[in-house]
Amino acid sequence: MSAVYQRLFARTAALAILGAAVAVTADPNPERNVYFGEQHIHTSWSVDAWLFGNHLTGPNDALQYAQGQAIKHPLGYQIQIEQPLDWMGVTDHSEYVGVTKEANTPGSALSKMPEAQPLILKDPNDPADVQKVFNYLVSLVSKPPIKAFMSPQVAGSIWQQNVEIADQNNKPGKFTAFCAYEFTSQYNFRNLHRNIYFRDCAKVPEMPYSALDSWHPEDLWKWMDTQRQAGNELLAISHNANLSDGWMYPIDVDSLGRPIDAAWAESRMRNERLIEMKQIKGQSETHPLLSPSDEFANYEIVSFLIGLPEESGRIPHIVGSYARQALKDGLTMQDTRGYNPYKFGVVGGSDSHNTGAPYRQNNFYGGHGINDGTIETRMSGYLFTGMDVRYESPAGLSAIWAEENTRASLWDAMHRKETYATSGTRIKLRFFGGWGYEEGLLKGRDWVLEAYRGGVPMGGDLPPAKAKAPTFVVWAVKDPTAGNLDRIQIVKGWSKDGQSFEEVYDVAWSGDRRPDKWSGKVPPVQSTVDLEKATYTNKVGATELKTVWTDPDFDPGLHAFYYARVLEIPTPRWSTIQAKQLNMAPPDVVPATQQERAWSSPIWFTPTDAARKGAKPGLTVADLNAKGAKMLSDAELQALIVGKSIWVVNNVTGEPIKIRYDDKGSAVVLHVGRGATLPSKVGEVVRASYQVSASPYRIKNGKIITELSGTPISMAVYKSGDKYYGARSNEFGHANYEILKKGPANLVELNKGEYKEKDQASYLRVTE
Amino acid sequence: MTLNTRKRINAETEPVVGSGRPGRDPFFLRSARRLLREPLVHFLVLGAALFAGYDYLYSGDRDESPHQIALTLDELRQLGLLFNAQWRRQPTPEEFSQLVEFKIRQEVLYREALAMGLDKNDEIVKRRMAQKMQFLAEDVAAAREPTTEELKTWYEKNSDKFSLPSRVSFRHLYFSPDRRGARARDDAAQALAELAGQPEESTPTESLADRFMFQDYYADRTSESLAKDFGPEFAVAAPKLPLGSWQGPLESGYGWHLVYVDSLTPGRVPAFEEIEPDVKTAWLGAQKEAAWAKAYREMRAKYTVLLPAPPNSDTVSVASDTDTLTQGSGAPL
Repeated sequence: MSAVYQRLFARTAALAILGAAVAVTADPNPERNVYFGEQHIHTSWSVDAWLFGNHLTGPNDALQYAQGQAIKHPLGYQIQIEQPLDWMGVTDHSEYVGVTKEANTPGSALSKMPEAQPLILKDPNDPADVQKVFNYLVSLVSKPPIKAFMSPQVAGSIWQQNVEIADQNNKPGKFTAFCAYEFTSQYNFRNLHRNIYFRDCAKVPEMPYSALDSWHPEDLWKWMDTQRQAGNELLAISHNANLSDGWMYPIDVDSLGRPIDAAWAESRMRNERLIEMKQIKGQSETHPLLSPSDEFANYEIVSFLIGLPEESGRIPHIVGSYARQALKDGLTMQDTRGYNPYKFGVVGGSDSHNTGAPYRQNNFYGGHGINDGTIETRMSGYLFTGMDVRYESPAGLSAIWAEENTRASLWDAMHRKETYATSGTRIKLRFFGGWGYEEGLLKGRDWVLEAYRGGVPMGGDLPPAKAKAPTFVVWAVKDPTAGNLDRIQIVKGWSKDGQSFEEVYDVAWSGDRRPDKWSGKVPPVQSTVDLEKATYTNKVGATELKTVWTDPDFDPGLHAFYYARVLEIPTPRWSTIQAKQLNMAPPDVVPATQQERAWSSPIWFTPTDAARKGAKPGLTVADLNAKGAKMLSDAELQALIVGKSIWVVNNVTGEPIKIRYDDKGSAVVLHVGRGATLPSKVGEVVRASYQVSASPYRIKNGKIITELSGTPISMAVYKSGDKYYGARSNEFGHANYEILKKGPANLVELNKGEYKEKDQASYLRVTE
Repeated sequence: MTLNTRKRINAETEPVVGSGRPGRDPFFLRSARRLLREPLVHFLVLGAALFAGYDYLYSGDRDESPHQIALTLDELRQLGLLFNAQWRRQPTPEEFSQLVEFKIRQEVLYREALAMGLDKNDEIVKRRMAQKMQFLAEDVAAAREPTTEELKTWYEKNSDKFSLPSRVSFRHLYFSPDRRGARARDDAAQALAELAGQPEESTPTESLADRFMFQDYYADRTSESLAKDFGPEFAVAAPKLPLGSWQGPLESGYGWHLVYVDSLTPGRVPAFEEIEPDVKTAWLGAQKEAAWAKAYREMRAKYTVLLPAPPNSDTVSVASDTDTLTQGSGAPL
């Protein structure tokens, strides 16, 4: 395999330096093509990359790497991309002094200044003269800079250099090099970073707005708004929500401590069109604590605070750090407050600081120079700023559906969110939502055109309801150089009465597996991984999966989103492959195998006003107050629950649970089944209920407080007449729980009509 | 610099333009009158008033004492321009006086820090300055326009860098493992035998093979583009097939194929005239690289590096430019 790659890349490398003059230009494709690219990469021009030992390679090397040329890893060995990319944005930024060129441009302002005279080459071909000028420059930078060189007209900047390099590498129709940079806000070790993408390099500002100007994303958006008003289109892509300590997706107050309102949400959505779903430092889709019923949520989890001092006891928050929960909260905010700040699309990235990035498990060389650049460092569990480097994984990729490979076409697709992310392989994924897709649609030769005509692609909004339930067209094809496909899933989120819910549907899968009759879940695909040899085969799985799927649980009165997730068959993780090379056991702190995947941008459904009002409104705290209900004091709460057990009915789902509160501060939730419809942020209650594992609670300020991995979630109890109602702090002012002192004797109501009264003995000693 | 100066910026006092060197430079007064009509000038002039008495008209050498901060009109204008570049509007008087105050603050702290020697052994300062060295060296290389002759000579020496790949056009029949499982290859081989007996012009029926998820015909494809669509092995194998007949079975990342190659355009090196701008770009890159390598080599030659000795040996000196590695450090942003 590697010899084949070498031969191909010999040609690619030669091609890479060719410019627009000979670029292949194709007509725009109305059905759109998928373009894979790198959205997030650093070179030696980034201050931290330099610190990691990346001293020699700059943005041009990054763009050459993307086009297939081999470059040097900071540690000196050769690295080469597995397959050239269609586009890249180098996301460095800094300032620059570049005055020589100006000084040597006859007639320029700078060339007339007395300070510039020693910079002007008398004879450019005389090495002695070049050396003299260079020595003068050296003398300049060793003392405080001459201020006359610092006006924006003459100084230039590293930024302008960056733009120039992007322009040189940009070959419309063949390879797109974006003008981009990273806004690196790292307030109190919280990762609030955003990559900024400009539509047109000819209009970029003289200086990028940096976190030195303000660490608040709100100020960044304000600046972006002024750029946009001046005709300079741009968008932001947030990354590493997983490392944001819960600050990426707030629901109550913004980073300035102000209450979140409609203006905040609009400002965010105007500017932050996309989020980065996966990169070397983990995925930000979801966490098992937030998605306990999603058996594929336990994937490339990285949770730490970058740069946190070794001796610090801080634990990063999980709540507020993952995209799926933000999408769900966004629906609830829309429903209860009238705005949704979290209507974003998804892309991937590397965040490599090595100028190049690895996208595949069999080519993993880390992303942080000397910190993870040797197999010894990687496999010895080196603690890099608190993170065990074995938790790192290959870079994610961004896929964009666009008419052609140009800055404008790709940027417009990013803006309309017709994008998806992959974990690094090149799965092709199409996803459309509409109201009348025929079941046989995919059999037609021009099904893509039909799908565009009959609905909206990923990132879009479903038009108003025209049928009982929306139908979705989903199609995925494997990466021809990677594992076969296991399944396509559709992840649905919806919101009702201040609560939000999620469900993962298996909609298309390989082989003759049969979904469970009751849960609909498809059993795991057989693993072909040989852990000792660190290999797999494509004897299982499919090359192509596709279907037209109708939501079986659709409610036209509720806000909802849908996104597609594609899983490959299990393959060895990079750490297993490299363990084999060192003849050691696969690391026991990370899984030995993993399933590569792709995530589409969501499609949203918004109910009509009539449909929303048609639904019976849920009870709110405001309703209770209006009725004269009284919130219980600490003493009243203690009397109600401490040393007792209570039954709590979720009035949204109708499901009862029992909670025991002992007098030592421990509580346990009981009688929660696997099929329960769980509202957001309740944690792994199904497991806790089965295992009867307790967790702490306390009563304070009139609330029963429990914690979800350090994030307090509280319940206030109101007495109205002789009834008690509970309002959870994360349910947007709704009082969805009724507290019963006595619960049901039976938890399941059997429908008598369906059971024939038989002699009990006839149910026993059953033979097949 | 005291807080009073701030009040003076804000105060709507009569500007004291030129009071530093009255009457000495009539040109300045003329341009000052012109400046008075510019939108920014209000603030600039008021700001300038601060420094009345200072030698702010000179852009040449300044003899600043360590406790004197002199800002020129250019510097003040620059503050306004930077603000304008960020926010697309002029600063208000309050904002402008704040900008000036920030600049002064930075200068004061910078000088105090220099006096305390804080620039010594600071990793960030070192790094920035080292980076600037490279930019400067590259800038010198980029300052020169090459002649066409020079580019042509360089192109002739480096023409392999510009070669165009060969292109292949073909149709194919697909045998899907999703549908046929392990039989896919044998089915393809059998289909090939059936096709062999048929006249060349006849189009094989779809029932013979399976529907392919992408195209049935590929025109003028390079190996690179085929690798993206089919995987690298197929990309290497397809252009080598004989023209004008069904061949195979050939394996791709999706299964098995029979391939009928219509045409193959061999690779070539384009003429200099076709690609002169690209040659220039590549030439410039090479110049920069060479200039920096040479500059560094010369600087490096001036130094002898001493490294700690391994146990039980004397101090080693490293003459070459070995990049020594330190422990991992820093945090990714």
